[in-house]
Amino acid sequence: MDEKIILKDDLLRICGDVIDKGHILLCPVMNEYSIVKDFSRIKLDASALPAGTSFKCYVFPKTEPVLYYKRSKSDVQLIDVNIDRKNIVILGAKPCDANSLNIMKHLFNWDYSDEFFNLREKNFIIIGLMCSHYDEYCFCTSVDSSPVSEKGSDIFLIPVDENKFAMRIITEKGSEFISPYAEYLKTGDENISKQITENVKLPKVAFDSNEVYEWLGENFESPKWEGIGNLCLSCAKCAFVCPVCHCFDIVDEDYSYTEGRRMKNWDGCQFGNFTMHASGHNPRDIQSKRYRQRVNHKFRYYVDKFGEILCTGCGRCSRGCPVSIDIKEIVSNCKD
Amino acid sequence: MNNIYMPHLAEIKEIIDESPDTRTFRLKFKDGDTADRFEFKAGQFAEYSAFGDGESTFCIASSPTRKEFIECSFKVFGKVTQALHRLNRGDTIGIRGPYGNWFPLDELKGKNLLFIAGGIGIAPVRCVIDNVLDLRNDFKDLTIISGARSVSDIIYKQEINVWKDRTDIKTIITVDPGGETPSWDGEVGFVPAILEKTAPSPENTAVILCGPPVMIKLTIPILTNLGFKDEEIFTTLENRMKCGLGKCGRCNIGNVYVCKDGPVFTYAQIKRMPQEF
Amino acid sequence: MKELREHAKELLEKGEVSAVIGYSQVSEKRTKPIIVTDPQDTDQLVFNEYCLNNLAVYLTKARIKVSCRTKDKTLKLAVTAKPCDVHSVVALIQENQIHREDIHIISFNCHGVAKDFGFEFSGDNIASKCINCETHKPLYFDKIFGEEKETPKASDDAMERIQEIERMSHQERFEFFKNEFDKCIKCYACRAVCPLCYCQRCITDKTIPRWIESSSHMRGNFAWNIVRAFHLSGRCTGCGECERACPVDIPLSLLNRRMAIKAKKSFSYVSGRSLETPTLVGSFNEKDNDELFM
Repeated sequence: MDEKIILKDDLLRICGDVIDKGHILLCPVMNEYSIVKDFSRIKLDASALPAGTSFKCYVFPKTEPVLYYKRSKSDVQLIDVNIDRKNIVILGAKPCDANSLNIMKHLFNWDYSDEFFNLREKNFIIIGLMCSHYDEYCFCTSVDSSPVSEKGSDIFLIPVDENKFAMRIITEKGSEFISPYAEYLKTGDENISKQITENVKLPKVAFDSNEVYEWLGENFESPKWEGIGNLCLSCAKCAFVCPVCHCFDIVDEDYSYTEGRRMKNWDGCQFGNFTMHASGHNPRDIQSKRYRQRVNHKFRYYVDKFGEILCTGCGRCSRGCPVSIDIKEIVSNCKD
Repeated sequence: MNNIYMPHLAEIKEIIDESPDTRTFRLKFKDGDTADRFEFKAGQFAEYSAFGDGESTFCIASSPTRKEFIECSFKVFGKVTQALHRLNRGDTIGIRGPYGNWFPLDELKGKNLLFIAGGIGIAPVRCVIDNVLDLRNDFKDLTIISGARSVSDIIYKQEINVWKDRTDIKTIITVDPGGETPSWDGEVGFVPAILEKTAPSPENTAVILCGPPVMIKLTIPILTNLGFKDEEIFTTLENRMKCGLGKCGRCNIGNVYVCKDGPVFTYAQIKRMPQEF
Repeated sequence: MKELREHAKELLEKGEVSAVIGYSQVSEKRTKPIIVTDPQDTDQLVFNEYCLNNLAVYLTKARIKVSCRTKDKTLKLAVTAKPCDVHSVVALIQENQIHREDIHIISFNCHGVAKDFGFEFSGDNIASKCINCETHKPLYFDKIFGEEKETPKASDDAMERIQEIERMSHQERFEFFKNEFDKCIKCYACRAVCPLCYCQRCITDKTIPRWIESSSHMRGNFAWNIVRAFHLSGRCTGCGECERACPVDIPLSLLNRRMAIKAKKSFSYVSGRSLETPTLVGSFNEKDNDELFM
C-alpha cells in the first residue's frame, strides 16, 4: 500500500486546483453532500455523523431525462441524452457512503449496462475519510464494513492530528488523480496510521448478516411483519436517503403538444402503488408486505443475486424515520 | 451513448379490433436494420411506448417464425393502454425489447403439447402455437383449450378459425356460462371444468398455461389430478414492470426478477417462490 | 406515567378499546409510536417532552380501523394525544373521518416538546409550534394526566421568518420558495405523517390524467408542495410533523402557518378547535369574506 502524509492546507490547495480545473467538488457541508465552490467551507470532520442524504443523487439523480421526443401528426422523432461528463471529486466521503457505488454497480450492470450510471460513476473520484464517531443508529460493522474501511474509496484519509492526514492511495484512479500533486505529499509511516485506525471505537456488531439471511429465508410469513406494517406510514424517506436504494420509475412528460421527455425518477418500494398492476391487483397490497420486501431485498435477495448486502450500515433510514422504525433493531431482534 | 431506455420506432401497419376492449397492432420497424436484427423467441416480452403517456409491458404475440410483422395485443386498462388505443393506422409507437426468457421449445420437441389459455392470456400462447405450427413435424399431438368471458370477448378469432380448420390440432374454445350467444357452437363452461371434461393424457405431454391468476389457481389442481408433472407445466407471470431490464425493482417475487428470470416459469419453479403474487 | 399505564391496562383488560396508540421510549431523547393490544405491554407506554409524533395519523389507517371491529360490536380506539394533537383528532371528527364515540382520547397537560429527537428539551430546543401555543390543556379528552408546568421561554423563529417572507417582494418570495422546493425529493414523508392527508388515493398518484408531475424537478416540486399547501388551507392544525419528517428540511410549516393565519384573519376560523363548528371548507356563510376570490 502506498501511504503518504499530507498537510490539511495542502489538501485544500489541491481542492482549489480541482475547482479551478472545472471539476465538481463535493463535500459534506451542513447535513448534505453539496457542491463546494469556496473551499474554506470544507471541514473534513471525521467525527461528524453521516450527512442527511448521501451523494447517490450525483450518480443516480432523483429525476433525469432518458430521452426526448418530438411528435408530429403520426411521426415521432427521438433524441438521445447527453450526460455531463464532468469529473466529480468527493472529498471526505464517509466509509459507509464510499462503498455505495460499488454495491449499486452490480445492479446497473446486470446483463444490461445502464450508461447513465456508469458514465457518471467512471468520473467519480472518491476521497474517503476515516470515521471516528458513531451513534445509536450506525451499524456498519454488522454489514461487512467499518469506520476505517477503505472499500469504495480511491484515496483514503486518516487524520493524524489537526493539520495532517495520512493518505492511502487505494486505486489506480486515485493514484492518477493525485500524481500531479506529488510535491505536496510526504512519505508516511504506515505504523502511525495503523495505530490510529486500530484505536477507532467501533460500533458494536448488532447482528450476523448470515443469520439474518437464514432467518429471512425461513420467515417470509412472520407476525413480525404485521407489527411493523401497522406502524410504518408508507413514505419513501428511508429509500430516498439510503445510499444504495436504487428503484426507479419511468414516466413521460409532455412539455408542449409536440414535445416531451421520458424521465427516470426515484421510486420507493414502500409506496402502495409501486407494484400495483393496471388491473388494480397488487402483489404487495399491504404495508407489512412492502416492509418485508425492503428488508428481504437488502439482506437476502441482493445477496442471492449479487453476493453483497444492499446496505452500508449508515443508519440514515432509522435516524430519519418519522416513526422511529429502526432497521438494525428489526434485523438484530429477528429471532426473538 | 448506449442508451438502454431508448426504444426502436415502429409504424402501426394494421389495427385489429379483437374485442370491445382488446386490440392487436401489427407493427413494422421504421428502420430496416432494426427489423433485420430484431430476433426473439416465443414467450419474450417488450416495452411498448405511447409517447407522452409512457411505456407498457406485453408479450410479443406473433410467432418468431413469421418475420413480416411484430404483433402485440393489449387490453385497455391504464394510462398507457388507453393512449395506445387512441392511436391510428400509420401512427408511430416505440418498442424496446425483446426481454425475458422464453418457452423452451427446443426441449419440448417430440412431445405432445397442451395449450390452455384464458382471456388475454391467449396472447403469449398464440405466439407459441403459431411457432409450433410452423415447425409442425417436430411435435406430436397438439390440443388447445381457450376460454373467454363471452363470445364477443374471444380474441384472435381469425387465428382460431385457421386452427379449427386444421385437422392436425384439436381446438376447443369455451365461454363462461352466460357469455354464450344463441348461435354459439363451442363449449360453455369455465376453463378448468372444460379441461376436466376433456381429460387429456399426461403421457409425454407438456402444458403451456396462461391466463388470469384465478384461472391458473383453479386449473393447476386439475392438471395435477390428471397426472401432469409440475415440471411439465409452463406458465408466464405478469408483474408491474417499468424497465424490463432487471433494474427498476418492482417485478421481483422473492429473489426472482420476473423481467429477467421470467416471464416463463414452470409450476415447479413457482412453487418454490415466496407466495407474493 | 404509572397512572397512564394503569389506565391503558384497564381499558384493554375491560375490553373497552381494541388498542392503545401511544409512545414508547427508544432511547433517552427519543420515543416511537407503539400500538398496544396486549395489556401486558402497557408498561412500555410513556409520556414526556420527546413524544413528538402526532399519533392522530394512525386513526384513519384502514388496517387499524378494521382491527376494532369484532363480531358483535365496534371497539373504541384509545389514542395518546398531546393537546395540539387533539386538534388533529377534532379536525378528523369534523371531517367525518372518525366518530367521537369511537375514540378514547388520553391527553396530558403539556408544556412543550423538543424540536427533534436527540435534543435536550429547553428554551433553545423547543419545537417552534410550542412557543406561542395557547392550548396547554387539551380541549377534548376522556382522561387527562400530567401536571401543569411552565413552558420554557423562547423566541419564535418561525413567526419571525413568516414576517420576513411577508416583507419580501413577489419575486423574492418566489425565489425563496424556488430554492426550498428545489430540494424536494418527493419521498412524500410530509404526506405520510400528516393526520389530515388521509385520502385513500392522493391526487399525485392519479395518472389519468396526471395532475401533478411525479418527477422531482422544479415544476413537479412546485406543483406538489403548493397543491398540498392548498389542500391543507383552513385544515392544517399546525402540528408541524411534515416539517420534522422532511429529509431535506423544507420549511413546510411556514407555508401552512401562513395559510392558517389567513384563514383566521379572513374567516375567524382555526382548524380543529371545536367539534360543534363545521369545517371552513365545508361550510358557507353569506357574510364570508370574498377577498380570496380571484
